[in-house]
Amino acid sequence: MINRFSRLFLQALMLALCCIALRAHAEPYLAVQMGLKCGQCHVNPTGGGLRTTYGDVFAQTIMPHEHIDTGTDNWTGDINRFLRVGGDLRFDGMVTAAPHTKTVNTFSLTQARVYLEANVIPERLLVYVDEQVAPNGALNREAYGVYWSKDHDWYLKGGQMYLPFGWRLQDQSAFIQTTSRINMSTPDQGVEFGWERGHWDAQLAVSNGTAGSSGGSNDNGKQYSGQLIWVESMWRAGGAANFNNKSAGNRSAFALFAGLRTGPVQWLAQGELIDDKAVTEGTSLIGRRQAAGLLEGNWTIARGNNLKITGEYYDPDRHISNDAQTRWSAVYEWTPIQFVQLRGGARIQDGIPQINTQHTKLYFVELHGFF
Amino acid sequence: MSSSPHKFRFVLLAASGALTAALSGCAGNGAGLDSNGAPIGSGGGGGGGTVTADFQSIQDNVFTPICTQCHAGAGAPEGLMLDAAHSYNLLVGVASQEVPTLNRVEAGDPNSSYIITKLTNGPGIVGAQMPFGLPPLPQATIDAIRQWIANGALPPTGAAAASVEAMQKLQRAMAPGSRAAFKVSFTSPVDGSVVDTPLRQIVIVFNHEVDASLVNSANLTLERVDSAAGSGSGAQPLAIPSYLTLANGNASTVLITPATALLPGTYRVTTRGSGGGVIADLNAQALAGDYSFTFTVDGSP
Repeated sequence: MINRFSRLFLQALMLALCCIALRAHAEPYLAVQMGLKCGQCHVNPTGGGLRTTYGDVFAQTIMPHEHIDTGTDNWTGDINRFLRVGGDLRFDGMVTAAPHTKTVNTFSLTQARVYLEANVIPERLLVYVDEQVAPNGALNREAYGVYWSKDHDWYLKGGQMYLPFGWRLQDQSAFIQTTSRINMSTPDQGVEFGWERGHWDAQLAVSNGTAGSSGGSNDNGKQYSGQLIWVESMWRAGGAANFNNKSAGNRSAFALFAGLRTGPVQWLAQGELIDDKAVTEGTSLIGRRQAAGLLEGNWTIARGNNLKITGEYYDPDRHISNDAQTRWSAVYEWTPIQFVQLRGGARIQDGIPQINTQHTKLYFVELHGFF
Repeated sequence: MSSSPHKFRFVLLAASGALTAALSGCAGNGAGLDSNGAPIGSGGGGGGGTVTADFQSIQDNVFTPICTQCHAGAGAPEGLMLDAAHSYNLLVGVASQEVPTLNRVEAGDPNSSYIITKLTNGPGIVGAQMPFGLPPLPQATIDAIRQWIANGALPPTGAAAASVEAMQKLQRAMAPGSRAAFKVSFTSPVDGSVVDTPLRQIVIVFNHEVDASLVNSANLTLERVDSAAGSGSGAQPLAIPSYLTLANGNASTVLITPATALLPGTYRVTTRGSGGGVIADLNAQALAGDYSFTFTVDGSP
């Protein structure tokens, strides 16, 4: 009976998705395209990691250029009513070039991750684990428990988690990710309160302060990271703030970010300012203010085909002139069938002529498998 | 009629390019900056060209422009300051905080040097690959660092390392009868700092190579000096048993490894420079007097 109900539900869900989404792909621009909050497709309300049942069905029926028919059954990650699994794998071929440096080409398994969600009280209480299993040894990324209110308009999360701070991009090397130091390489341990009501989407996390810290390890000070977003079907805008209270010197970051859908193009933008008091010169504490910005356009050329053009700006020290860096990326994403995506593109970085590493050119192709 | 959607897309694409260009602006032209991107005259220096297998090249092309974005100052991650004044002595022969069984740089053995593990995301890594949040270093750069380690992780040579002023200073110091006084260059933790647990090792860097036979518990002491150190109200300093060694391949650096983890509290390290049999360099120059520094271990959750 339950199986029959589940199949009917899934079929209805797929039909609904087909009606509301003609073309769609992955990552934050997908949320902008659909006018949805991140938590619609991801178990983590702030995005990334294991997909929800909605996200799984979406990825199989809407994302790919061609959907290989699997009958009435679609992968939803369900082991049973209480347990769900998922995963991501990224395998890259890369060529990296910089002036006066030997060009390097390499194959690299950049990431293999598995996710487990235990719905110990369905819809209300869950335990979630995001474990990186390759390359090298196992590395826990996220492990937390979440309690949802009855009407799902607020939640409380505790454990190790990614912190809320603006767009959570797939490209972890983007300037806005590295400058804030709040990204998917820097989970932190703490608690997060989330509020999702109507058009509002908000989170506030208090954590040890290891993420994005200059000090590197936790001390008595805590890190406060939060964001507030207004979500409309065509656009969204938000602000984020992060304050890391460290004995070596406080670090503050502020960001404004927005998304906009204009026909087949989805836009993402974010600008941020960082004030790091812990930077020294010799024995003097001098501090440093930085700025970073990103503008990204995602052009859905056809179903399963997306062209992503990104321009980035980074000022490593606002008190110093002529030291800015820029980075341009052009990435084509092709999702031929469900669970498989091929990506290829180039990232060109430009900086001051004195430093070769600021003139790196990266060309890559990537196989992205996900389920 | 059929061309309208194409026109629309073309306009959108053009708008995308224009807006992105406006946001990105242009990279800095580097005018007025030195090879590390710092204003000329504010410090730094070096080649900025191809990384070669010598420490100065690695410092100028990797540590200073890239790593010191985080690894600088009293709050440097894992206490590892990678600015030119500190990096060599905090790398060579000094145990990693993340994997204490490995030195950050094991002179002559890149495969046992944790810095290589961190740069290559190698087996046994703890934490993220370096440089954190940036693309991995080019393989040629990592190869140069490996080669520098394999060659013995030699310190920067005077000619390559120093400015003319520093070179002259060095020559004055080496002149007979005018050798620079033996002294402590810097310590990690720095004097008066508050550090996080766990603190596995205390580093004292001298300006000359140290006579290993004089590195002993009579000359180097680690004591807990806060009020909780003693059992009574007198708060007598409490000696902390420690292992004392010279850093492997780096005889200017003395390592103090507490036998047990340091509890939260305030500690004092003293290097004895007065009396007989005191700590001295290879030319039997002793410190001008006792040298002490204190730091606090903060173990609050």
